Amino acid sequence: MSVTEEPIGLPDHLPETLDVDCETSGNDELWLRVAADGFEKAARTLSDAGARFVTVLLAGSPERALMAVFALRGDLVVLRAPLGADEAPPLPSLGAWLPAARWAERELVERFYPERMGQSGRWLTRPDASQLDGRVTGLDVFSLPFGPVRSGVFEAIQFLIETGGEDVLRLETRPFFKHRGLEARLVGLAPERAVHVVERIAGIASVAYASAFSQAVERALNVEPPARAQRWRAVHAELERIACHLDVIAKEAETTALYVGQARFQLLKEQTMRIRAALTGSRFGRGVVVPGGVRFDGRMGLDDLLGQLDSLERDLRRDRRLFLGTASMTDRLIGAGQLERELVERYGAVGPVARGSGISTDARHERPYGDYRRLGLRVSTARDGDAMARVNVRFGELAESLRILRQSVDHLRRRDGALIVPYPRDGSGAAFGWSEAPQGELVIWVEVHNGLVQRAHVASPSLRNWALFDHAFPKDVLTDFAFIEHSFGLTPAGADR
Amino acid sequence: MLEWILRGLAKGRITTRYPHAPERPAPGFVGPLVLLDPDDAPSQLPAVCPTGAITVEDGHVNVDRGRCILCGDCVRAAPDRFAFSERYESAARSRSALVLGAESEAPVRPVLGEQAGALRRSVHVRHIDCGSDGSEEWEIQALWNPYYDIQRLGFFLTAAPRHADILLVTGGVTTAMRAPLERTWEVMPEPKALVAVGTDACSGGLAAGGDEVAGGVDQVLPVDVYIPGSPPAPVTILDGLLQAVGLVNPQGAVA
Repeated sequence: MSVTEEPIGLPDHLPETLDVDCETSGNDELWLRVAADGFEKAARTLSDAGARFVTVLLAGSPERALMAVFALRGDLVVLRAPLGADEAPPLPSLGAWLPAARWAERELVERFYPERMGQSGRWLTRPDASQLDGRVTGLDVFSLPFGPVRSGVFEAIQFLIETGGEDVLRLETRPFFKHRGLEARLVGLAPERAVHVVERIAGIASVAYASAFSQAVERALNVEPPARAQRWRAVHAELERIACHLDVIAKEAETTALYVGQARFQLLKEQTMRIRAALTGSRFGRGVVVPGGVRFDGRMGLDDLLGQLDSLERDLRRDRRLFLGTASMTDRLIGAGQLERELVERYGAVGPVARGSGISTDARHERPYGDYRRLGLRVSTARDGDAMARVNVRFGELAESLRILRQSVDHLRRRDGALIVPYPRDGSGAAFGWSEAPQGELVIWVEVHNGLVQRAHVASPSLRNWALFDHAFPKDVLTDFAFIEHSFGLTPAGADR
Repeated sequence: MLEWILRGLAKGRITTRYPHAPERPAPGFVGPLVLLDPDDAPSQLPAVCPTGAITVEDGHVNVDRGRCILCGDCVRAAPDRFAFSERYESAARSRSALVLGAESEAPVRPVLGEQAGALRRSVHVRHIDCGSDGSEEWEIQALWNPYYDIQRLGFFLTAAPRHADILLVTGGVTTAMRAPLERTWEVMPEPKALVAVGTDACSGGLAAGGDEVAGGVDQVLPVDVYIPGSPPAPVTILDGLLQAVGLVNPQGAVA
C-alpha cells in the first residue's frame, strides 16, 4: 500500500465532522489517518455515518499503527492511528459503545496487552468449560452449559443457556475453545507455503480463505492473477458455497426429523464433494488456489462438469420444492430466531445472516474481486429475519451459484491462457484481501517482508456473526436452539483460528 | 410425506458395499502419500515438507503419514519419489506404523472385538472436537449419509459418552479442550477405544509446535487407531473404525 504524502480531500459520503487526513482513496479502499487520541472519536463518527465495523488490528506496515476497518457503501474504510515504537495503542476504546467491535477488540487486548484486562471477569480467548456464571436469578431458573463437547458430530464451542425451562432468558456464546494460534503460525512462511495453513483455518471454507489470502498477497506485491485463474477460483468458490449451504439445509431437515429430506440433501452435498474431488483431487478444493493464480486446470472435462451440474440442479429443484412444501419443516423455521434489521446492523453481521434480515451485503457485489467483476451477481435477500429467511437466502444462493458456474464454464471453454503468474520472491508490501465465504464476508490483512509473511490478521465471518447469536432468541424456546444454530451456518474453527 | 418416500425409493440402492467390495478413489485423488523410491535421497529433501513428515537418514527416506497434510509439495518437487496412493486405506494401530518403512510397535490395547466379541455388531460412537479445522467433522458426518450408511455395519452415534464404546477425536488438542477430553474419556465404560481422526489428531499437523496445541491426541491419552489425512476421506475413516473393532485387520482383509 503506497501512502501519498499530501493529504487529499475527504470523499463526499463521509461526514464533514470527521477529523482525519485522507491518505488514499479508490481501488475499493479509503485510508484515513488520525492521531491516537482522536481514534475513538473518529471511529464513532464513522459508525454513526452508517459504516459497518469489520475488524480492529495492530499493523506493522507501512508503519506501526492501530487500525480499525469499516465497510461503507461497499468500500473498505481503514482508520489508521500511527504509533511510535514504544507507544501503546488507545485500547480498549471501541467495544464499550460498539457491540460489533467487542470481541475483536477484546481479543486484541488479551493477546497483546493482557495487563490491561484488570481483575474483572473472564477471558474471551482462554475459555474454561467448568467456569460458569449465570446472571439471571429467580424461581426455577437454571444455567445449562451446552458444549464444548457437543451432542453429535459438531465442532467445539460452548453456550451458556439460562432458562426457566422453556424460555431462553439469556444466552452467552463462548468461542475460542479451539484457538490453535494459526495467525502466529503464518509468520515467517513464504506465501505459497502459508496458504496451506490458511486453507486449514476454516476447513469447510478452504477456497474462500485461500482466495482472500492470495488476493492480499497479490495486492501487496502488485501482481494481477491471469483471467483464467480468476475463473477457476470462482468455480471452486461457488462449489464450496453449494456444499456449505446444502450442509445447512440437510442439518435443518435432520433437526425436524425429516429423515428422507435429510438423506436427499446429504446426497446432493456428497455429489458436490465428489465433483470437487474430481476437479481438484481434494473433496475440499485444497491445493489449487495459490498466490499468483491457480496451480492447475480442473481435472474433470468441462462437458462432464456441466453434465454433473445439470443432474445436481435437477435433483435440487425437486428437493427444494418438497422441502418448502413440507409444513412440519417450515413451521419450525418460520418465526424462529428472528433478528431485527437494526440489531443486525449494530452487530455488523455479514453473509446469509445479514441477508436474511434484508441487508444486501455481499463482498462479491460490494467490492467485486477476481472474476466477479465480470460475472455479475444477483444478491439473494429475504426480509423476515427468521431461520426460514436464512434458509430461503441459501436456496436463492444455490440457484445463483449454479448460474455463475455455468457462466464460468462457458468462459473457460472459450478462452485459453496462463494459470499463474510469478510474483517477486523477495518482495515486500502489505494489503487487505477479501472474499465472500459461504458464511459471509472474509477479510485478511497480510504484511509481506522480503518474500516472507511477517504479520497476518483474519477477520472471519463466523466470529462476527456469532456475537449476534446471543440475541437470536427473542421469543424462542430451548427446543428451537438447534434450528437457530444451524440457520446461522457458522464454523467455530473460523472464529477461533 | 408420501412424495418424499417415493423420491427416496426412486433413487434405488446407492449404498456402497464396502468393506465387502473395495472402494477406490477417482484418478487424481489426493489419497495417502506413498514412497516410490526410498534410497539415495539428497539431505535437503526434508525441507520440501511444511510439517516435517519427511526425514532422511544416510540417504534413506522415511515418510510419516501421521504428519502428512496431503499438501502435495513433495509430489510436485520429486514426482519420481513421492505419489498419492490409489487406495483410501491408511489407518494404523500404532503411531510408528504410520511411518512408511519403519518398524511398527504393538498397539496399546487389544482391539475391541477381542475384548468383547459381542460388541462387534453394535458399536456406539461418540465424537469430540479438540481443535480441528472443521473438515474432519464433515467427513465423519458423511459416514451416516445414504452413500456410506455406516449403520449397516452396526455403528451408531451416541450423544452420551457413558454409552460410548469408541471415542473419535479430531484436532491436536488445544489448551482449552484438554480437560474436557480427559473427562469425556474417563466416564466412558470399559472396554473402550480411542480413535484419532485426521493428521491434526495424529500429530498436531500445521498447528503443532505453537503454544496452543499439544501436538496430537497421544500426548494426552493412549490412542488405539490413528487415521491420518487432512482431512481423511469417509472411506479412510470407515476403515479405521472397522480396524478399531476388529472387523478388518490392518491389511484390509475382512475378519
